[in-house]
Amino acid sequence: MAERNLKKEIQEKLQDDIMQSALSKFAEQYPGSRLNAYKDQDIEELRENLRQMKHDAVQHIDELADEFQASLEKRGTKVFRAKDGDEVKKILIDICKENNVKRVVKSKSMASEEIHMNECFTDNGIRVKETDLGEWMIALAGQRPSHMVMPAIHLNRYQCAKMFEKEVDHEVPGEDIPNMIQLARKTLRQEFLQADMGVTGANFGIAENGAIGLVTNEGNARLVTTLPRIHVVLIGYEKLIPKTEDAASILRLLPRNGTCQRMTSYMTMVDGPTKVIYKDENGRHVETDRKQYVILLDNGRLEAAKDPVLQQAFQCVRCASCLNVCPIWTLVGGHVYGHIYSGGIGAILTGLFHGVETFHEFSDLCIGCRKCASICPGKIPIPDLIDELRARYVKKYGAPGMDKTMFNMVLNDRGMFHKLLLKAGSIGSAPFKKGKFIRHLPLFMEELTKGRSLPTIAEESFRDRVERLSKKNPSKPKKRVAYFSGCNMDFVFADTSENVVKVLQSLDMEVVYPMEQACCGKPILGIGDREAGKETAKKNIAAFEKVQPDVIISACPTCTETLHETYMKLFENDPEWKARAAAFCSKVREFSSFVAEEYKKTGRLVHAKGGEKVTFHDSCHMKRGLGIYEEPRALIDATPGVELVEMHNCDKCCGMAGSFGMKYQEVSIPMLNEKVKNIQDTGATTAVVACPACMMQIGGGLDKAETGINTKHIADLLAEKL
Amino acid sequence: MEKVCRDWAKQAFGEGLVDAKYWDEFATNAQTAAAEVYKVKDFAAGEAKLKELLAQYAPKEIIAVGGEENPALHDIYERIGNDGTQIYTDKFDIYDHRDSADVGISTAEFCVAETGSLCVDNYSYEARVTSMLPFVNIVFVNANYIVKDVTVACQIIGKVFDKGYLGFVTGPSRTADIERVLSLGVHGPNKLLIIAVENVEGGR
Ligand code: SF4
Ligand code: SF4
Repeated sequence: MAERNLKKEIQEKLQDDIMQSALSKFAEQYPGSRLNAYKDQDIEELRENLRQMKHDAVQHIDELADEFQASLEKRGTKVFRAKDGDEVKKILIDICKENNVKRVVKSKSMASEEIHMNECFTDNGIRVKETDLGEWMIALAGQRPSHMVMPAIHLNRYQCAKMFEKEVDHEVPGEDIPNMIQLARKTLRQEFLQADMGVTGANFGIAENGAIGLVTNEGNARLVTTLPRIHVVLIGYEKLIPKTEDAASILRLLPRNGTCQRMTSYMTMVDGPTKVIYKDENGRHVETDRKQYVILLDNGRLEAAKDPVLQQAFQCVRCASCLNVCPIWTLVGGHVYGHIYSGGIGAILTGLFHGVETFHEFSDLCIGCRKCASICPGKIPIPDLIDELRARYVKKYGAPGMDKTMFNMVLNDRGMFHKLLLKAGSIGSAPFKKGKFIRHLPLFMEELTKGRSLPTIAEESFRDRVERLSKKNPSKPKKRVAYFSGCNMDFVFADTSENVVKVLQSLDMEVVYPMEQACCGKPILGIGDREAGKETAKKNIAAFEKVQPDVIISACPTCTETLHETYMKLFENDPEWKARAAAFCSKVREFSSFVAEEYKKTGRLVHAKGGEKVTFHDSCHMKRGLGIYEEPRALIDATPGVELVEMHNCDKCCGMAGSFGMKYQEVSIPMLNEKVKNIQDTGATTAVVACPACMMQIGGGLDKAETGINTKHIADLLAEKL
Repeated sequence: MEKVCRDWAKQAFGEGLVDAKYWDEFATNAQTAAAEVYKVKDFAAGEAKLKELLAQYAPKEIIAVGGEENPALHDIYERIGNDGTQIYTDKFDIYDHRDSADVGISTAEFCVAETGSLCVDNYSYEARVTSMLPFVNIVFVNANYIVKDVTVACQIIGKVFDKGYLGFVTGPSRTADIERVLSLGVHGPNKLLIIAVENVEGGR
């Protein structure tokens, strides 16, 4: 395959105004409609129930397949097992030949798209029609679906009308959607009536009786399984569930998350050959059992099912809600993912079915914001599985060269790194620098300052201030706190780090700063290099062991998450380091939650008189990674002279997401612009954040747009009022 | 007519699982799903409601199932025919008129309150085309047969589902594939009209 130019593809999609307006409208409406469909339901209980059921099913995938096959054979169905798409196609063509099939109708099946099933029919002169309205239109235009549930969401009515015209050869007015619907009904009705064979996928397959379940709104699957005299089912092994009652676990969530309905119009279960009526050659009515063939598709599934991490992907019920809430998907749409499954889960499934190489082509498109993981009905930790696949890619092919060299320097020589940064930053000095920001950069670096100003590198890094600050440590400290700065808070936001220390000292904490500490390792772990990640982790653990702290504080949620959770996982199978990591990880605390706790103990966490309006942005890693969002709000509420006003979508990613924001300007800047607008709409004079990366992005956006709104880390806000 | 289960009430409904008290919840959710819901006290009232609806849609041809199992329905279908509307109830007749009929009349086994769904036993071909191909689908159901939620519904189905074809129908056929605008009647019925009979023994 030709090398893809992902950046160019993204550019094109960002300039597609029709798609942009459709997606942003949808992204805006979806979360509310979904919640509405769950009214009076315990969502978390339902999710856990589904996760458990699917998890258990995957552990027994082989037994379930045997039972499913035996159930069907007992009922008169012919069952095949296909290793890959080619085998499926061969089976299908044999079925068509044996039964003299000339016309095929299909209802939506992701598995059939995964293996490009339609090709095998057309290659053999068999007429095949998709019958799901969206899929039908897309197929007429020779396009690919851009969403698993709404394949034509990227088009408007006029574009749809043009597609209709390809099939009906007269003019179709785009204004009149009901007319188009009736035209599709009429055209496709004939396809149904004349088809010899119907092909469906399955939302689930029940082992105990061999039934398959089909969830649709249009009813096309009911017609595909009713009118033709042959029914073929293509079903992936991961769709198998033990019992009929287990279907409820899926059915209570799939429609709600997928289309914001309590139930779709049709939920159909077909078990074995069912009755069909047709007329024979002599025009006589015949009632007989329809022929049913079921093909179980492997295509990488059985291997992945045995993998303790990746098998979680099979908790997926293909509701596509992970796309609907993904800040990247809702900007770039489904096509740039390049394969049939898009979004975060799409990247994962593509990795499982088509290999890590194909996955790697678009694995950048997940920024790990965890929005999807918070609503996925099967509770799949999507970004973690993406990290896992990245790690496997790196293990196989090595880490990208450039990233690694940079990283080694960041890791091994912090002093040198600071000097280098200063030097690089100085190209941005006068006349470009204004206050603490660089507004423009010359030539090739200009891209970086297109939608945001960049912060300047601190003249004096935090590490150089430590000695001076230590002198103010209390003489009889309550606790010994070791501060982990992370890169940003050391080199860029050194003033904020200083404020972190001041706040902690005001709580009678002794603050120490182990000089040998390095980067938390997230950037290198993010690209999948776990070996380098482990080296970094060891360096940090050793550095902090030396100072014997009671608590380890970080004011960066991404660092906190890495230190607190990822380090634990990294050394799971390392007897020597496991205990050391556990001791380290258990001490790690995020700054604002720690301070809120201490304030509370000393009676300081109480409402203070308000004043100037401030708004708070939830960082992805803080809210969904660490589950911290109440504490910073409580701190703001307890700060005299300020008053919290919430912004719209306060927990939506600001677009920085580590180095993503620098690498994919074109995606990052629209996300930032939305955030800037939401902040402006509150009328606040200050945007408060608890994450240095968000501070860099939002601060840069607010400055570039000349809003006059300040950006402060919560530590800055607290320190000012001490 | 071939069915997954001959007698759902006897073989599938367990103690306390099915109850008329869920009516309001069922009706609200069915209406949210764009179904029309009419509760009638007996089959006589049901027949009156049916005729009223038929007058509204003025079908040239009707296909209807459920008369074989239910004498009350059988008689109603006969009277509709006698009144001069073409109504087909034989499976081969239904086959011949499946694409030309304007109204299909069918039956459901029970209702699901949580979702406003009807559980339909569609083993037979004629039951499926009757409920899917005409533009209007009118469904008779016992108003006392309502389960609380989908979990209970699947438990009940699990007791009797050994082979065949069944499922939930929730409102008419719909799509939002063009600009996410809700449009009804894309492949299946444009209208789903539910007549729920409270006292199935009375009024005959
Ligand atoms: S991963 Fe989860 S949210 Fe995404 S399609 Fe699958 S079930 Fe739905
Ligand atoms: S973690 Fe965020 S960016 Fe990644 S797939 Fe999920 S929603 Fe999209």
